[in-house]
Amino acid sequence: MAPALRISDLSFRYAPSGPQVVDVGLLEVAPGEQTLLTASSGAGKSTLLQLIAGLLDPQQGTVEIDGQAIHALRGHARDLFRGRSTGFIFQTFNLLHGFSALENVMAALMFSSIPRAEHRRRAADLLQHLGVERVDSPADELSVGQQQRVAVARAVVCGPKLVLADEPTASLDPENSSIAIDLIQSACREAGAALLCVSHDPGMASKFARRVTLEELRRA
Amino acid sequence: MALTDRTIIARSLRSRLFSTSTTVLTVAVAVGLMLVLITMRQAGRQAFERGSGDMHLLVTAESSPLVSVLNGIFYANPPRRPLDWGKVQLLSRSFPWAYAIPTQQGDSFNGLPIMATTTDFFEKFKPNQDEPWEFAQGKAFDGNFQVVVGSAAAASSGLKLGDKLFITHGINQSRQLGGQNGEQTGENASEAGHDDHAGHDHDHDHGHDHAASEPDPSVKRDTFAGADVHTDFTYTVVGILKPTGGSHDRAIFTTLESTWILHANDRRKREDPHIATTTPEDLIDADRKVTGLYLRVATREGSDASAVLPQIFYRLRADPTIMVAQPGREIEGLFKIIGNIDQLFVAMAAVVMLSSGIAIMLALYNSMDQRRRQIAVLRVLGASRARVFRLVIVESVIIGSLGAIVGIVLAVVGGIAAAGVLRAELGLKIDADLHLIPTLGVAGAAIVLAGVAGLIPALVAYRTAVSKNLRPIG
Repeated sequence: MAPALRISDLSFRYAPSGPQVVDVGLLEVAPGEQTLLTASSGAGKSTLLQLIAGLLDPQQGTVEIDGQAIHALRGHARDLFRGRSTGFIFQTFNLLHGFSALENVMAALMFSSIPRAEHRRRAADLLQHLGVERVDSPADELSVGQQQRVAVARAVVCGPKLVLADEPTASLDPENSSIAIDLIQSACREAGAALLCVSHDPGMASKFARRVTLEELRRA
Repeated sequence: MALTDRTIIARSLRSRLFSTSTTVLTVAVAVGLMLVLITMRQAGRQAFERGSGDMHLLVTAESSPLVSVLNGIFYANPPRRPLDWGKVQLLSRSFPWAYAIPTQQGDSFNGLPIMATTTDFFEKFKPNQDEPWEFAQGKAFDGNFQVVVGSAAAASSGLKLGDKLFITHGINQSRQLGGQNGEQTGENASEAGHDDHAGHDHDHDHGHDHAASEPDPSVKRDTFAGADVHTDFTYTVVGILKPTGGSHDRAIFTTLESTWILHANDRRKREDPHIATTTPEDLIDADRKVTGLYLRVATREGSDASAVLPQIFYRLRADPTIMVAQPGREIEGLFKIIGNIDQLFVAMAAVVMLSSGIAIMLALYNSMDQRRRQIAVLRVLGASRARVFRLVIVESVIIGSLGAIVGIVLAVVGGIAAAGVLRAELGLKIDADLHLIPTLGVAGAAIVLAGVAGLIPALVAYRTAVSKNLRPIG
């Protein structure tokens, strides 16, 4: 079975003569595996996530998600592949303004291969399962905790192979951080998705069996 | 129901409700204005064409054919010169006319023109092709000092069947667009003056008074102080016409002989201030003044064309003592003259439409600042650049389409209002109905323009950098 994520010999610079922002020798995340990637601030964690998502093109190396080299895909095919294979959880949730909790989750389903007729039910069931009470309320009007649940639901609703979480607890206090990461981990587990969580929160370490740092991943 | 592009566009429009509404309104005003101008242009022309009815030729003693038509049919001004009575009789007998109807203009009532004519005017002349006169009330005059009132004239003057009235010599220049129920007090009378007309010489010393000096509540008269009212003869309203949509709707009609007697009475009083009254027997040829002759050549049943018409026209044109006009041709010429102004209005409306396109572009472009994050999120979720480009274009097209729909509604309402005003003020019956082809053309142009206006904002959306707009990632 192909790993959920495989990165090899990846390097990236924003400008040809600029500094090397990302330099990863090899990283593999097995299907369903949950990995914490830590690094100091400004070390290029977020750029790495964009490379994994296919939002940036590396100068060198490959990123494979479920065996598919994402940068080998072009344009619409890459966007569609990203939407179907990868879920995202952001620090500030990035929920769609003016849309309900349910619609925010259904927005991810728009780009999936799941039949339209199932979208509403699937999104509603997942939100209910994750404890979101007012699914038809505008997402902006929900509490921070509820918004986070909506963001998690949106990340896993399409049944992705990989979920990328970018500092998901950075704006939370330690108690809520723990609740949030438990939620993300359990949601990914139930969805059968691997999780790559990027964080510099030291409290997160105890939650992950596998922890890597960007420094360790550098090519020799 | 699943979330679709349509939902995203609808939310986007709703989230900027004020901006969306004002932009839609801008497009609507532009579309409405364009449609009203196009419709009115067409309808105005038709209304002018209606005025001449089924006549082929108009003979006057005016200085040009266009002036003949404007004065003799559209009551622009009282004709300046009369035709010789002998000439009128000769002309009437010279050709195989379907009708030859003499007319005489120059007097008025509360600013409404009086047209003196014969009963043939109601029996033979048709104000619109194949549409004879119809009476709303009463009948045509069958004796002297009876009047028939046009529909718009009745509405604006308040004249009713059986009303008695005095008529006024000449037409006060300031009042030619129609009286207002005879209620004006005429404070500016001294400034107004009369328009001297071709009908008759005039004596201010006998048989006339000024409206303000001898009020007589039983007989309606021009209330304009300074109006030169003929008080020797009282006219009675015997008929009120149905609307025809032409200029005659705002006229009052009486017999030629009444007018001749009225003015012969002036002449006779000048000669002998003690005469009791004037009768048809007192008329001399000099009193029989005519300012126009409506002519129609005999044609086959159901046909308006006549092979002899050009010949007759050229023969009459050779007579230097008369002016012969083909009303249809003159109206055509008039529209050629004013065509440029007309096009200028349409060009202005096109500029307004273009501005509305710019308004759409600005509204969408300004919204891009707020929407970059939404676009970035959609891109991360799997939307392609082409799809977000399309979302913005469709949004722009929807604004254009909504504007076009509201514009069409505005044009219908505006057209009805404009038609009402033109009918009330000028007696012109305007067909304010929008025609399918121009309506679809203007609406289509607005939609295409909106699509083009959306290109720049759509490009901004297309080029939105996902990394920069999802801050935690970037």
